[in-house]
Amino acid sequence: MKQRISILADLRIKIGNETFDNPIWVASGTFGYGTEAPDLVDVNRLGAIVTKSITRQPREGNPPPRIVETPSGMINSIGLANIGVERYIREMLPIYENLSTKIIMNIAGTDIQEYVEIMKMVESVSSVIVGYEINISCPNVKKGGMEFGVDCDMTAKLTAKLRNITERLLIMKLSPNVSDIVSIGMSAQESGADAVSAINTVVGMSINANTGESNIHTTYGGLSGPAIKPVGLAMVHKLYQDLSIPIIGIGGIVNREDVVEFMMAGSVAVQIGTANFRNPGISEDILDTLEIFLEETHRAAATELIGAVKTHS
Amino acid sequence: MIIERAYIKSNREVANNIWEMHFEAPQIASEYSGSGQFINILVMNAWNHPLRRPMSIASVVKGNISIIYKIFGEVTQLLSEKKVGDEAELMGPLGNTFSNWKNGTYPILVGGGVGLAPILNLKNECDTHHVKYDIIIGARSGDEHFMDHEPEKNIILSTDDGTIGVKGTVMVPLEKMAKENENPYLFACGPEPMLEAVRNFALSNHIPAQLAVESYMGCGVGLCQGCVIHRQNGEIGRHSYHEKYSLVCLDGPIYEAKDIHFG
Ligand SMILES: Cc1cc2nc3c(=O)[nH]c(=O)nc-3n(C[C@H](O)[C@H](O)[C@H](O)COP(=O)(O)OP(=O)(O)OC[C@H]3O[C@@H](n4cnc5c(N)ncnc54)[C@H](O)[C@@H]3O)c2cc1C
Ligand SMILES: Cc1cc2nc3c(=O)[nH]c(=O)nc-3n(C[C@H](O)[C@H](O)[C@H](O)COP(=O)(O)O)c2cc1C
Repeated sequence: MKQRISILADLRIKIGNETFDNPIWVASGTFGYGTEAPDLVDVNRLGAIVTKSITRQPREGNPPPRIVETPSGMINSIGLANIGVERYIREMLPIYENLSTKIIMNIAGTDIQEYVEIMKMVESVSSVIVGYEINISCPNVKKGGMEFGVDCDMTAKLTAKLRNITERLLIMKLSPNVSDIVSIGMSAQESGADAVSAINTVVGMSINANTGESNIHTTYGGLSGPAIKPVGLAMVHKLYQDLSIPIIGIGGIVNREDVVEFMMAGSVAVQIGTANFRNPGISEDILDTLEIFLEETHRAAATELIGAVKTHS
Repeated sequence: MIIERAYIKSNREVANNIWEMHFEAPQIASEYSGSGQFINILVMNAWNHPLRRPMSIASVVKGNISIIYKIFGEVTQLLSEKKVGDEAELMGPLGNTFSNWKNGTYPILVGGGVGLAPILNLKNECDTHHVKYDIIIGARSGDEHFMDHEPEKNIILSTDDGTIGVKGTVMVPLEKMAKENENPYLFACGPEPMLEAVRNFALSNHIPAQLAVESYMGCGVGLCQGCVIHRQNGEIGRHSYHEKYSLVCLDGPIYEAKDIHFG
């Protein structure tokens, strides 16, 4: 009988000074605060959990209907419903002490001051969170509701302010709803971000032909799921060509092939979003099968995939 | 709550466009705690429909679970094409249950449209526990009914067009029966306009009522915060991130009529 000698591939990845056990993370807003689905998933196997966006005050979010399925995807308009930073500090941070997976806190705000205040509050208490992901796809009230993430100057200013407050990982989460994602990514990099993550949801709309009604209360929402995977791949690849900081790939990832493709396009790690809604344990399955893929393709480390795409030019 | 691959044991059309399916799902059946609970069904593995479909549990007998569903769109159409021996992946049991129906009040069960499954389930539980009740089932027309109008057994059907049973909505027999019985307690499931009518009637006549509500659902386990309903009473549920709303998947789908409103 043939003995198969196999060496387990090294799944670890590094961002800034932080080493993650594996590149499979779960995306903000698709995994709650990490405590909701314990029966269906061993959260400690995840490379990291990015928690639901937190604002200074609790937010009620938008009225229903908040979600609708669309071809190979869904549109959501949850409206950043969240428990607010005070409850996050009081109720969530202590729970994270007992998890061995890494926690990344996602922050949202309506002006620069709000982001700053939230981060200062969290920095003033001791916690095990390893970093922050900054949701800049939020309307800036001081700029007439224009999103922070569509403007290089705003992105630079926000990144620089936050960089001054924390030595933990600072990840700027980029919006695809911009004319040039690379210049926004460059602004984040030049102002001190450790990494960027891309992409957030794509603006979308859904109409019921029979009733003539919009299927989402706020008319427009964010499209996610496999429908946006090609958009995510292209944006990650563009960022990878011009940026030197790590890129965390997001957008419609549902299996290991998707992970491999996002890494080949230039991602160091990936986040699983909408797929959690079908199966909260899907990241574990993806992790197991990714390990097999690396072994089968004789790769010693997941990092060998990063940027490995063969383009035709 | 678990995810279980389940064999389909039967799948048949019981009325116009309304189907009944039985699954062999012993694990979910063993965790099941009462009528009102639902399962979240994955009909196919491809990702053109990323979300599962929530369906109320209509019965649980010896490791077998049944649902009653109406063909609405593509996924319920695909479900109707499944054959005996095929598999589907079920998540469940999810949600809370009807309560207080064996506490000496007189249950009046009201089902409309496809909102039949949890009501038929509650009917069977009442039978098992020898609890006396009335049941009213409404539909637009006779061909949507798969039960018989049997007023002598307290089974009342209504149709909008009068082809079977009482002509009009379920509210016609309901208002009469609620007044004829002592200590009525209403249990209702059906389309939102019907639930709203039951709620308004219950509140203005100080009759307690439990409603099984539906809302567009993403994950069924509280991760997406999609399936909210307006909360009237700040006490119920802690699963939404804000007291203005309640999450149907975790706090519901069964609510006291006074605790919610329809926006
Ligand atoms: C707790 C709960 C229990 C339910 N129980 C039953 C039941 O016992 N029998 C039954 O026939 N139906 C039930 N439904 C509704 C059922 O889930 C939808 O009819 C089904 O998802 C339609 O899928 P489709 O692909 O065929 O239709 P689609 O073409 O996707 O949609 C048709 C309509 O179905 C509704 N719908 C679609 N997706 C969802 C979703 N993810 N969540 C909620 N509603 C949706 C929407 O109103 C939509 O307009 C229940 C819903 C909920 C929330
Ligand atoms: C219901 C829902 C809620 C989300 N909430 C947030 C959020 O609070 N903050 C954030 O930065 N991104 C949020 N996102 C975006 C996801 O994190 C992710 O960027 C996006 O869904 C694309 O990935 P996917 O296609 O794998 O879902 C949300 C997405 C969904 C579907």
